[in-house]
Amino acid sequence: MSNAPRLRQLRNALDRIRVAYRVEIIKAIRLRQTYVGPALLFLLVVLSPLAHPLRQDTMGDYAFIAYVTPLALNFLGYVLLLAYVGGLLATEMDRGTLRTVLLRPIHRCEIYLAKLLLGCSYSLLLTLVVGLSSWGMVVIFGDLYGVQVGGVLRYTSDEMLWAYLGGAGLVLLPQWAGVSLGLLYSSLTRSTGTAVSLSVGTWIALDLVKYPLGIDHLVFSSYLESPWHVFISQCDGLDGRWLPMAGYTIVTSGAVALTTTAVGLFLFSRRNLGSCG
Amino acid sequence: MPPIVSFSKVCKFYGSHFAVGGFSLDIRAGDTVGLLGPNGAGKSTLLHILTGLVRPTSGHVSVFGKELQSNAIDIAFRMGALMERPTFYDHLTVRRNLKIHAQLAQRDVNLDRTLDLTNLAEFASVRAGTLSQGLRQRLGLAMAMLTEPELLVLDEPTSGLDPEATQDILTLLRRLVDETAVTILFSSHLMHEVEALCSHVAIIHKGRLVTYEETETLISYDLSQVEVLMDGADNAAKRLREQDWVTSVTSKPGRLQVKLKEQGSHQLNSFLVHAGYAVSGVVPRRRTLQDYFLKALDHE
Repeated sequence: MSNAPRLRQLRNALDRIRVAYRVEIIKAIRLRQTYVGPALLFLLVVLSPLAHPLRQDTMGDYAFIAYVTPLALNFLGYVLLLAYVGGLLATEMDRGTLRTVLLRPIHRCEIYLAKLLLGCSYSLLLTLVVGLSSWGMVVIFGDLYGVQVGGVLRYTSDEMLWAYLGGAGLVLLPQWAGVSLGLLYSSLTRSTGTAVSLSVGTWIALDLVKYPLGIDHLVFSSYLESPWHVFISQCDGLDGRWLPMAGYTIVTSGAVALTTTAVGLFLFSRRNLGSCG
Repeated sequence: MPPIVSFSKVCKFYGSHFAVGGFSLDIRAGDTVGLLGPNGAGKSTLLHILTGLVRPTSGHVSVFGKELQSNAIDIAFRMGALMERPTFYDHLTVRRNLKIHAQLAQRDVNLDRTLDLTNLAEFASVRAGTLSQGLRQRLGLAMAMLTEPELLVLDEPTSGLDPEATQDILTLLRRLVDETAVTILFSSHLMHEVEALCSHVAIIHKGRLVTYEETETLISYDLSQVEVLMDGADNAAKRLREQDWVTSVTSKPGRLQVKLKEQGSHQLNSFLVHAGYAVSGVVPRRRTLQDYFLKALDHE
């Protein structure tokens, strides 16, 4: 039997997801709260020289970037991300706008995936804001001359940049796993507060039990910080290793993202969204 | 001609409470059907099922001859809906809200035409969150009509509106019924709205269809109840009560309300004229939808 109808259905579904994603972006751009997270992270980076001074002394200031990036992204950035994602479906279900949207020719699953893409885009935006502002601060107030050990250039500025980009790329994966988990919770309740509390609560609970149980290497949230280790090691003139950390990051984050998205899609497609439901 | 909407033994349970129980109804293209029923009768649940917001526990729904569950997207392309109190992205303008829905519907639509049709043109640049309830309802209707659907589903579209805004919406719908071939399924618990707008009436009670009739049939004249405009009503009332073809007579200044055992006012008319009364008019009583509704629920 020909696969053409299935392919056409898939293409149509992807088209609808693309349209829904574009609509989500339009809505987000015009919403003030979208800018709160990036603004807070930007402020944190800009004010960080108060704790970690920058000087133009022909020595690379990568230590500042290594200090501020995990500081901004691993805690505040992640909480802001979970808070943002927690409201994506819950708010719309609470206000009823989701019902109005679902009267259009679009499946619930497609709306869900468009929201997931928006959450992932938001995490990318937060990471970009932190990356650009921290590197921008060093360009303006410090130096990017590479890392020198005993007067010898150990890592060039290009090598440092690639180590940073590698870390930033990898750290997006546990963030996106967090987005998937947050969206699952957001699809289960009409209260943004409950969805955010569940997301943050899960994160804290996992962090509390993972070390005593010795399962930290299997928990995706452990890899919110690990991807920066290569860059941080290079700042100290040491070699950092991507493996096996990168593998664990990909597998644990991918497993959580896929599982929570599958469960979320299943439950969301079966929810009664009528006012009496 | 196959029905445009067909409910077949549709049931919906919320836990152990049933909202709809074995509801069946076929609606033909071009009809304007009013779903009437007291609060909690299951009207909204049925419309939520029809629009895919709620899954039926059992039974089948087909729209445009296609099974609803497996053809939801195809059906949604041809259907518009306004569910009770519509909600919008309040931080966006009226035009942007419509544009978003046009994008989701994947249609090139003439937004200006829709805005004109719903008298919203002057509010196009106003944020939806600042609109009054009447204007919000109009925007909801604009969204429902945006893609010029063949089937329009309206769940209590005048709910919570003041009389002026209600009239506004009803006029708009009347225009739509008169000028297009759209099929409308309209739920309300207000009889006069359904009477004014709908070609057919479906009365629902406790999740079941009690009756489905043409509105004209239900609100025809009742020739066994007449009002007589005349002088000397008190005196005439006394004489009429003695007649065996009269069930009851109520006298009021300048008029009599007479209930006859059989339909037809000829006998009454000739009796009064022969008795020498000056009769200026005999008006049969018009049955209202409310009469029928209450009678139908009484039988339940």
